[in-house]
Amino acid sequence: MVASTSALRDGAVRPSREDPNSRVGRSSRASIARFLPVVPSILLLALFMAGPVIWSITISFTNTALTGREAKDPSWVGFENYTRLLQDPGFPISVWLTVVFVIASAVIGQNALGLAIALLLGRVTRATRAIVTTIVVGAWVLPEIVAAFAAYAYFADDGTLNQLLAGIGIDGANWLYEFPMLAVILANIWRGTAFSMMVYEAALNDVPPEITEAAVIDGAGGLKRLVWVTIPMIRGSIATNLMLITLQTLAVFTLIWVMTKGGPGISSTTLPILAYQEAFKFQEIGYGSAIAVVMILIGAVFSVLYLRTIRPGRDA
Amino acid sequence: MRFSRVLAGVATVSAAALAFAGCSPAADESKTITVVYQKTDGFVALDELFQKVKPEFEAANPGITVELEPIVADEGDYATKLALMQQSAETAPDVFYEDTFRVRSDVDAGYLLNLDEYLAEWEDWEQFNDGAKEAGRADDGSVYAVPLGTDTRGIWYSKSVLEAAGVPLPWEPKSWEEILETARAVKAASPDKVAFNVYSGKPAGEGSVMQGFGMLMYGTDDTLYDAEDQKWVTGSQGFVDSLAFIETLYGEGLAPAPDVALDGSMWQKLFGEWFPGGQIAGTIEGSWSPSFWKQDGSYEWPEYVDDIGVAAFPTQNGQGDGAVSLSGGWTLAVGAQSQNPDASFDFLAMALDRENALEYNIANSQIAVRADVAEDPAYLEANPFIGFFTDLVSVTHFRPATADYPQISAEIQAATEAVMTGQMSPEEAAAAYDDAVIGIVGDENVTQ
Amino acid sequence: MTGQPAAPARPRPLSMAAPRRAVAALASNVVLLVIGACFLVPLAWLILASIDTAPSQQTRVPTDFTLEHYAAVLTPERTLLPLWNSTLLSAGSAIVTVIVAVLAAYPISRYNSRFNTPYLSAILFGTCLPITAIMVPVYSLFVRLGMLDNLAAVTFFLAATSLPMAIWMTKNFMDSVPVSLEEAAWVDGASAMRALRLIVLPLMRPGLAVVFIFVFIQAWGNFFVPFILLLSPSKQPASVSVFSFFGQYGTVAYGELAAYSLIYSLPVVVLYVIVSKGIGGSFAMQGAIKG
Repeated sequence: MVASTSALRDGAVRPSREDPNSRVGRSSRASIARFLPVVPSILLLALFMAGPVIWSITISFTNTALTGREAKDPSWVGFENYTRLLQDPGFPISVWLTVVFVIASAVIGQNALGLAIALLLGRVTRATRAIVTTIVVGAWVLPEIVAAFAAYAYFADDGTLNQLLAGIGIDGANWLYEFPMLAVILANIWRGTAFSMMVYEAALNDVPPEITEAAVIDGAGGLKRLVWVTIPMIRGSIATNLMLITLQTLAVFTLIWVMTKGGPGISSTTLPILAYQEAFKFQEIGYGSAIAVVMILIGAVFSVLYLRTIRPGRDA
Repeated sequence: MRFSRVLAGVATVSAAALAFAGCSPAADESKTITVVYQKTDGFVALDELFQKVKPEFEAANPGITVELEPIVADEGDYATKLALMQQSAETAPDVFYEDTFRVRSDVDAGYLLNLDEYLAEWEDWEQFNDGAKEAGRADDGSVYAVPLGTDTRGIWYSKSVLEAAGVPLPWEPKSWEEILETARAVKAASPDKVAFNVYSGKPAGEGSVMQGFGMLMYGTDDTLYDAEDQKWVTGSQGFVDSLAFIETLYGEGLAPAPDVALDGSMWQKLFGEWFPGGQIAGTIEGSWSPSFWKQDGSYEWPEYVDDIGVAAFPTQNGQGDGAVSLSGGWTLAVGAQSQNPDASFDFLAMALDRENALEYNIANSQIAVRADVAEDPAYLEANPFIGFFTDLVSVTHFRPATADYPQISAEIQAATEAVMTGQMSPEEAAAAYDDAVIGIVGDENVTQ
Repeated sequence: MTGQPAAPARPRPLSMAAPRRAVAALASNVVLLVIGACFLVPLAWLILASIDTAPSQQTRVPTDFTLEHYAAVLTPERTLLPLWNSTLLSAGSAIVTVIVAVLAAYPISRYNSRFNTPYLSAILFGTCLPITAIMVPVYSLFVRLGMLDNLAAVTFFLAATSLPMAIWMTKNFMDSVPVSLEEAAWVDGASAMRALRLIVLPLMRPGLAVVFIFVFIQAWGNFFVPFILLLSPSKQPASVSVFSFFGQYGTVAYGELAAYSLIYSLPVVVLYVIVSKGIGGSFAMQGAIKG
């Protein structure tokens, strides 16, 4: 955020080129004034986000705690929190589980299912559309703690899923114990798909019908049309959606906490669970902040990947 | 440009909001004492107590206003918010509800007021038993918090299940071995029942220490924490033996299956289904158990009065007192930054007087820490087992509530989980625990 | 069921053979309904437990039905006041966020500048921020500025936390509005803000609706921020009151929790329906302009 304000200060505006992003031809009178509307966002973000983040980064180099001697006199410990984190045998597992969770539940699950539902919604009856969107959105609007309880009740050993399976003669597994990651991934797909669905629904409405029509007249089949016409048209939405759901999923805490408490063992302890345990259960704010900083870095890696691979040459 | 007008609008709104925010009343009128405590739908006893004390106190102390600030949250979130409030002088409460196991670390943090002077002049203080006095004591020897009540732990068993297995009643095991023998007899008589439960594993959280490993560990010749040297003990035989008992219990299928036990809500089944349904012979549980079964409890079961039996949990080979219990409980404390420490203590004292303590202990299924309450007929009639569990106070231990305790407790939970699932042998798990403890407190705070 | 407005009335190509189309439409309906059923089943516990006289964490068809859980939670201090507080917080932060995000996204979408990339990158970092992890500094900030226990301040904070995502989404939706339409307006002498208001915003109403709902729901479900930053019980929103159903020793009042959860979720579902009706309204206009 510091970088962005200094960029604002130079106020230099690149003259427009044949670049898809430069849409406006009035660059000769380019001025800082054009970017004045950005100011409220910068003020809000600087006060409420940048400040606390810089503070958090600072804290991550101290042994600040909520209780104990360190609460009274925190001291500077340099990189100790980070070296301790790197030496923690649970840490690499936690990073791995976080990446698995994000890729399986968000990048693949929510994204693909959301797109599929949005595409199908365009070709079904009004009633089907109303029913399905209400249900899918219903799962999304539930407060996280409630959704987590519902998911727990669904996957528990004597839960809804196993009762249904028993109804057709299958003896279901104890999902939360034997396949904790699968359970939390499915739960997160259940809870989060509505967001992708809504983004793609809105995006597909921006695809001019004449383009798909043209493709139909050219004889392109459904799948071809999807891959060669529709998806490129909504590429920007896909990139944004992927990025947003990735970053959101990266921070999912309550859902996993209620369902498995990160267990059994540490087999579903993603980074937010790890950070929570350190920062609040053990009240070690310094160490917890170090984990938060690592999470921000992982999020940044994902974001840069999206920007570079999906929209080459734009914003990256 | 017109957007400047829009911008100005937004800026004005933000500025106004922030200015408005700035004018919010900072609650520092000198004659107000704020009281912060936990309240949920399931826990209203303390709220009721303070609602009753507030007008009495205000009448007795004209000019002083009591502001009650209940926090609706579970215990973890309550602790987080309380600690945050305590960190800033502007928001630090005058009187607050504090878990006994956080007292020491919060004293280290400078949140609690030293109460020695006040207690010396408070005649009720001699009514409190020694354990209760210890619960509020910090490393410097001074007392910083006064317990509202406590809890003790022992064996709860099903008379009908034990009878069916041919176990003579009353069942009073004198050693760990006798527990295993009885459990094996139950298992042989009815293989699908839970023979004996000792809470283990991380999902049960602190329960795995308090209603689990700790009950074993404190019955051995070793200890977790050397209170005199203020050092944590590693490499003890008692630690390995305690884990070995858990390994035997789970390994032989006497305890609940590990996948059942590793569901954090297993205790609900235990109270709600297993005991009423005669599917479990015995468990370690807390003195509060009848609160679930009594009328209007979460798992109402009037027959518990006849079907349930209780016994003290034995030490390893019957050594020492022969029995062991662990205690927790909550206290009231005064904030170190309080502007009105005298009035705050007076409020605390009024809330903990005989009449109020009696009402609170009964309403919240607590074990009394005041001698005059403990012998009150109204208290003793609250449930059929309260007298038994009150007597266990004489053999009870409090957790080593140092600032590192929560982390060390988590390591103990991990060790029990590794053993119950067969991932590690007791020796391996004990060694992993030792390493973890050294990592947490440092070499210099550990003893063999 | 709630009435979802008509699907966009898009002219369908007539070249396909009608029977094949009928089969495809039927298949689409079936597939979607199956997906819908899968999404519905996990909600069964909520509904069943809320009307069960002896609710537990286990899903089952109740032997005795009751509405007493609803009656128990539908009191002013347990449900209505918290819901009102939630509405103030969520609507307030959603409105602030949408306005600020539109303002910020417009120049970034329309003008090319060296400022864009660093700004968007910085915002991106904000997006992945685990808010829980920065609450300690935020609390200190609120204490220092005297903003603790102030609904307006918390509203602005919630707006700030969802702003990064909102700006990204808004910019993206704005990018898809063809710039040629504004050029026509500029020729007529309209200012940038006028063009934004009269031409761009109406065209991106579906996108704005998504942003609004998104922010609203984030705020509606947010527990930790109001819990930490508000002190008075009378100001706490519904997300915090949920925790009153979790008692000491880990007891949970399942029936009341389920009933409360359903009541708590209802306003958001209603909002979604209203807003998506708004989206439906704009489709027609969009079609008109594009046609």
